[in-house]
Amino acid sequence: MEAKYDFERKYREQILRCSRCGFCQAVCPVYGATLRPGLNARGKMLLLKEVMDGRIDLSNDLIETLFQCTTCASCTHNCPSGVEVPEIIKVARKDMVDIGSCHPAFTGMNEVLQKHDNIYAEDEAGDFGRQKKAQAKYVFFSGCVGLYRETEATEAALDVLDKLEVDYTLIEEACCSGVLEDVGFPLNSALVETNIERILATGAEAVITGCPYCARTLNGKTQYAPLRARGVIVMHIAQFLKDFDLGLRTDKKVTYHDPCDLGRHCGIYEEPRETIRKLAPNFVELPHHHADALCCGAGGGVRGAYAKNSIDMARRRLKEVEESGAEVVLTECNSCVHNLSNAKLRKQKITICTTTQFIHDLMEEAE
Amino acid sequence: MEFESYNMPDELYYEPNHYWVRQEGDLLVMGMDDFARKLAGQIVFVQLPDEGKAIKLGKKFASVESGKWLGKVYAPVNGEIAGVNEELETNPGLINQDCYGAGWMYKIKPDDMGEVQNLLHGTEAVQKWLTEEIAKFAKSS
Amino acid sequence: MIDERIKQELIRIVGQQNFTDNLIDMVSYSYDASEHRARPSCAVWVETTAQVSEVMKLANREKIPVTPRGAGTGLSGLSVPAHAGIVMDLTRMNRILELRIEDRLAVVQPGLVYADLEKALAPHGFFFPPDPSSGKVCTMGGTVGTNAGGVKGAKYGTTRDYVLGLEVVLADGRIMRTGGKTIKNVSGYDLTRLFVASEGTLGVVTEIALKINPKPTVTTTAMATFNDLEDAGRAVAEVMRSGILPSVLEILGRETILAINQNTDLNLPEVEALLLAETDGYTREETEFQMGKVVDVFRRNHPGMVKLAASAQEAAQLWKARKSAYAVLARIKSHFVLEDVTVPIGRVPALLKGIQAIAKKYSIQIATFGHAGDGNLHPQILYDGYDPEQVKSMEAASDELFKLSIELEGTLTGEHGIGLSKAAYMTLEHDAVSLEMMRTIKRAFDPNNILNPGKMALDAA
Repeated sequence: MEAKYDFERKYREQILRCSRCGFCQAVCPVYGATLRPGLNARGKMLLLKEVMDGRIDLSNDLIETLFQCTTCASCTHNCPSGVEVPEIIKVARKDMVDIGSCHPAFTGMNEVLQKHDNIYAEDEAGDFGRQKKAQAKYVFFSGCVGLYRETEATEAALDVLDKLEVDYTLIEEACCSGVLEDVGFPLNSALVETNIERILATGAEAVITGCPYCARTLNGKTQYAPLRARGVIVMHIAQFLKDFDLGLRTDKKVTYHDPCDLGRHCGIYEEPRETIRKLAPNFVELPHHHADALCCGAGGGVRGAYAKNSIDMARRRLKEVEESGAEVVLTECNSCVHNLSNAKLRKQKITICTTTQFIHDLMEEAE
Repeated sequence: MEFESYNMPDELYYEPNHYWVRQEGDLLVMGMDDFARKLAGQIVFVQLPDEGKAIKLGKKFASVESGKWLGKVYAPVNGEIAGVNEELETNPGLINQDCYGAGWMYKIKPDDMGEVQNLLHGTEAVQKWLTEEIAKFAKSS
Repeated sequence: MIDERIKQELIRIVGQQNFTDNLIDMVSYSYDASEHRARPSCAVWVETTAQVSEVMKLANREKIPVTPRGAGTGLSGLSVPAHAGIVMDLTRMNRILELRIEDRLAVVQPGLVYADLEKALAPHGFFFPPDPSSGKVCTMGGTVGTNAGGVKGAKYGTTRDYVLGLEVVLADGRIMRTGGKTIKNVSGYDLTRLFVASEGTLGVVTEIALKINPKPTVTTTAMATFNDLEDAGRAVAEVMRSGILPSVLEILGRETILAINQNTDLNLPEVEALLLAETDGYTREETEFQMGKVVDVFRRNHPGMVKLAASAQEAAQLWKARKSAYAVLARIKSHFVLEDVTVPIGRVPALLKGIQAIAKKYSIQIATFGHAGDGNLHPQILYDGYDPEQVKSMEAASDELFKLSIELEGTLTGEHGIGLSKAAYMTLEHDAVSLEMMRTIKRAFDPNNILNPGKMALDAA
């Protein structure tokens, strides 16, 4: 039978390899928060198998599960058969978009990025009181969440870079638009070109970003190849800061939440910890850490499309923070900070922030 | 009153960013009005500041989020937070269900109760304001 | 499609948000971890015993099949809704109701995940000995429904040895209790034992009182290789005669070893069989003494190599081979069938040889591993499910496998249950009187045959 959809052409063999063991139920954050097997990784594979077998077809009925996956890859990491569920889901989403069955939040997001340069359709980013330089050694790329939602974290990051006398500049950013490919749409070439142009115009040798997702996009997507072809390195601020001797210290009990986009997707686990351990010797790990880290629930577009479940997932992660006894949870992703902060109950006395924000606060205290 | 399909109770006072205020003894109760609620869509997060936090007239003291929108909540008067609707912590959708009743958001102890009179009030004033707002949002959508 | 009237009644019982007939849920609930598939008409998430009772009353009155379900990790099709109807998902009833260490008692709900029970017991130095390999996800209701085993079966027994009492909702909605909370209880018929391994066909378990054990703190691990299956088998039997019980005695067959080597960098010696043993206790002296006896047995039976783990890391390395078996085998062909035929321990070598012969006869790949210590082997038949020839071979091989097991005084299933997979073979193992008595009991508990119908060959006249 000729394959009807791209997901089958690309991933038929993997989908068949799913042996229905259900082990993914132990780690899938969406399942963990909802206890609904239809939303679990196995459930998604069973549906796609039935589509491949012609038993059902792609349709609006499948939106609720195909577009409710944070793409955290915990399932893949634990799958005895090595099924790469998030990758399969991304292609299936594209097939869904092609037949006109897309979650309205994402159709909306795609439209927003046609008219605006950020996913929130905001008109003005704060300029953080910094002059944009014509030339600099580094470009600091905030990403949409940093520019329009977690502005304090971005302000803090810039303050830290200033104090360390780093030669950087901001640019007029456009959304890296990486999220579009995850939800079934192509990258927005106009926005990509804008970013490439503006970064190259500064002559910067590297881009430092606070957003692991932007880092992945600029480092990995073919559309950003012109940037890499000119030798521009893209790194996350956690990698940049690790070699600095900040000379700061706190006795607070601190833990670290591995963002999916930095951890499982990029394999970066130790650099952030190196920095944190220097600042906070009283460091504890969460029950699930490194490659086993529990997803905060924001990724893959889920925070935009299924906000209630997204926040429930973040609540589960915060329970682990409580279990660890830590008073501070640091992370390297603005999206994680945002979702965890929204999920935090008033009675939970936990500080949630980026490592850079924490460094900034320690610097202020020291003065 | 019902105006252009929006329910805007006459006895309430309205802050121009679409929050309503009413007196309750020597406190004020504050919430989101029907216009904003409809525009925002399903509310997913309401920031609930600590009791005792001082608020300054016209300054942002909290934020509200729906799936697609982040709204700033501005203080309608000078004063301090006297209480918050804790139900909203786990059920922010109460605002969508009943924005004037169970979905109330904040209780404020005003420095000067008289400042309430500076807010929009009365059928005529509210209707005029709402007409302008409807036109404003129709243009940008 | 469920009748609208019934749908409304179910919604009245469990609430709108706990009822579903959405496609994505229906497809999901059509499957468990076996190769069977059948779509239900609808599903409900229940949160209390009262709700379970109301749903059963309704179903019994209207003669609608109900399939209770936990994590859906069963390997025999036990939670596949063979006759459509309602899937009753119990995973939201997932609390530990009581934990009384000095009474050696844990009272739990059926939806509690095994790993969560383990986590709650660990700080007290206690554990629940039967440890199914799916422990990270499987739920206690299913553990009771299949009398789940695991790698510790040889020394610690299986789930049925640890269930002290149950709360059960019968097919007509009546609620009853069996057993109690005492370690010993011979009051009345042992209905608890009747429900354990009844695969959800006699009642819906809504509460489980479990006996828990203090957890030994020290383990010693060893591995031995054998170039002859008979030697390996004899070693297993002799270990049982040695005067001690190892806490674990696992076997990996040649095909499994080859598959592991092809798919990992473990580089195991390519031998006929590999035995992994563990002894446990509270002092190293004790566990090493016990392991000494095991190693003596190994040495007397022409091993290729015997390795005693000198540290926790070395022990973990030895375990890696056994733990990777399932994952490696799952990736080899598009489909597989995992059997769990069990024979008296002395017959293990004959079973291993017989499996090899069957694989050769039907030109099909069968990799074996399993709990040699209690005679429970897992031959895994690997085949291309889209090739009709291979499917035929798989069916023929399965058939002979069951016959072989029965010939060797064994059973069709040691721990996975009959479900759909082995229903057709019940007559091989059970005499007509016994089968008739099973059906009589079923009729007494469920006269309308609505609880998980179509399973365990209970339906046949």
